[in-house]
Amino acid sequence: MKTIREIFAFFAFYGRKTRRTQAFFLISLFPVAIAAVFRFHQAMGGDGSFDGMYLFTNVIMTFFLQFLILVLTLFFGTSVTSEEVEGRTLTYLVTRPIPKSSILLGKYAAYTLIVTVLVWIGLVACFLILNFERLGSAHVWTVLFRYLGVLTLGIMAYGGFFTFLGTFLKKSIMVGLLFSFGWENVIQYFPGSTQRFAIVHYLKSLLPRVMTSRGRFSFLTFRLDPTSWPVSILTLILITVGFLVLAALLFHHKEYIYED
Amino acid sequence: MSAVIATSKLSKWYGNVLGLSDVTISIEPGITGLLGPNGAGKSTFFNLLTGQIKPSIGSLSIFGEPVRNNSRAFRRIGLCPEQDAFYEELSGWEFLTNLLRLQGYGPSEVAARAEKALGIVELLDDKSRIVRGYSHGMRQRLKFAQAIAHDPQVLILDEPLNGLDPLGKRKLIRLIKDFGREGRTVLVSSHVLPEIEALTSDIVLIHHGKILAVGGIQNIRDLIDTHPHIIAVRSSAPRALAAHFVGEEYVLNVRFENSRDSVLFETTNRDRFFERLTRYAAEPAAAVEEVTSPDDNLQAVFDYLVGT
Repeated sequence: MKTIREIFAFFAFYGRKTRRTQAFFLISLFPVAIAAVFRFHQAMGGDGSFDGMYLFTNVIMTFFLQFLILVLTLFFGTSVTSEEVEGRTLTYLVTRPIPKSSILLGKYAAYTLIVTVLVWIGLVACFLILNFERLGSAHVWTVLFRYLGVLTLGIMAYGGFFTFLGTFLKKSIMVGLLFSFGWENVIQYFPGSTQRFAIVHYLKSLLPRVMTSRGRFSFLTFRLDPTSWPVSILTLILITVGFLVLAALLFHHKEYIYED
Repeated sequence: MSAVIATSKLSKWYGNVLGLSDVTISIEPGITGLLGPNGAGKSTFFNLLTGQIKPSIGSLSIFGEPVRNNSRAFRRIGLCPEQDAFYEELSGWEFLTNLLRLQGYGPSEVAARAEKALGIVELLDDKSRIVRGYSHGMRQRLKFAQAIAHDPQVLILDEPLNGLDPLGKRKLIRLIKDFGREGRTVLVSSHVLPEIEALTSDIVLIHHGKILAVGGIQNIRDLIDTHPHIIAVRSSAPRALAAHFVGEEYVLNVRFENSRDSVLFETTNRDRFFERLTRYAAEPAAAVEEVTSPDDNLQAVFDYLVGT
């Protein structure tokens, strides 16, 4: 555990200094800008029937759940090993007295923390902007914490999968994009049990039913046959742990040879 | 003295490409130079020694232990890799202290060791600067600092003098020699013979993934001296020049270059050739303008030794 902690401290520190993190921080603020524009429009005498919670649950959460966490975990998760190989810095880590699995798990934990912070900042800011007149209600806060929890579980599960992908494949980004915006975005709309092969199915099963309402954006979720919350949480944890174990085993045995 | 590094029939293939072939060698404390042209297999050998890759055949040990995935071994090994790679957004201090933490030291010891290592390589004044802004020489020294900071008993240096200016080279050579004198085992690679000569007299010659020779620098020099040398002499009277040497027994071959004003001599005895050339050049009709030795490099010697 000590070696995982040391690697975690190293990359939590380094990760937040990289240009990639700064760029993704700006991207994560995009929905905040949308929410602010919406509020400004309303303040200037725009649509009076505007419902902040509706916009938050159906638009902002869709952006976070089906775009932002996929992109962030894809780039951070695959880079756990691939950035070391492409940057030729892996040598510094694998010639230290630490198990290779610690390198992988420590980096995964550090990057999961960074992605979680990026996502939370954006989501909380959007929530406050869109719902500030209801902040006295305990129910509103429960909804927020539920969303934060679901997104965190999603970051862990997708992060685990993409960490495995980056360890397994040399060019993992393209496969990751196909998975994220092909498989995950299509299979969830399949009826019956087929949709259970998508990670996003278990995340949506944990969201309040407002996601399945018959609103303007209900086409995104209209066929959700939700799995119970204990099974969903267990499945997400198993996906995370399973892919991390596979990635750690692979990383332990695989040879990484730098290209000239 | 007992061998610190020992390999037996060590071989490595990358698919169908041979990286290293049948290397059986013992390396004792002190400085040993691994000399070979680019692509000879030096880095493959070092990657095997540091457990970054697995042997296809054979075995290796450092202090009698295998290295790959062996944490105990890595406490005793310091590696200065060839590649110019860093965590660019970190400062020199952050780079070094973070790597030292991975050695298992507590905060105060990390700081003390980083301070000492940066002092040795004269980077203390620049420790707060971002590595991205370091000059090439500073980056080489920082790589060396991370290799020595945990006080390893075995130091593996892959082309550490690459790209350094003469002053930088001299400083690093002095540091490496200091380590050798302390009784540590230092293995240093280069493709430049004079660099290795400046460091040590114990040399391992490697080429095409094979060990060609092991021994003192004098043995290598002798090998070089038995190599027929080609010497190019430019003169405004090339045919007279050629006629002057063509009867000498140590001249194996004489031919004219395309430009017609240069003569290429192949000789088995450079000293005698130059002695006679000097006498000839002093004659008023000689008109010798330039003397060069086109194959006076390591690659030519290696090609000769392997019979290509």
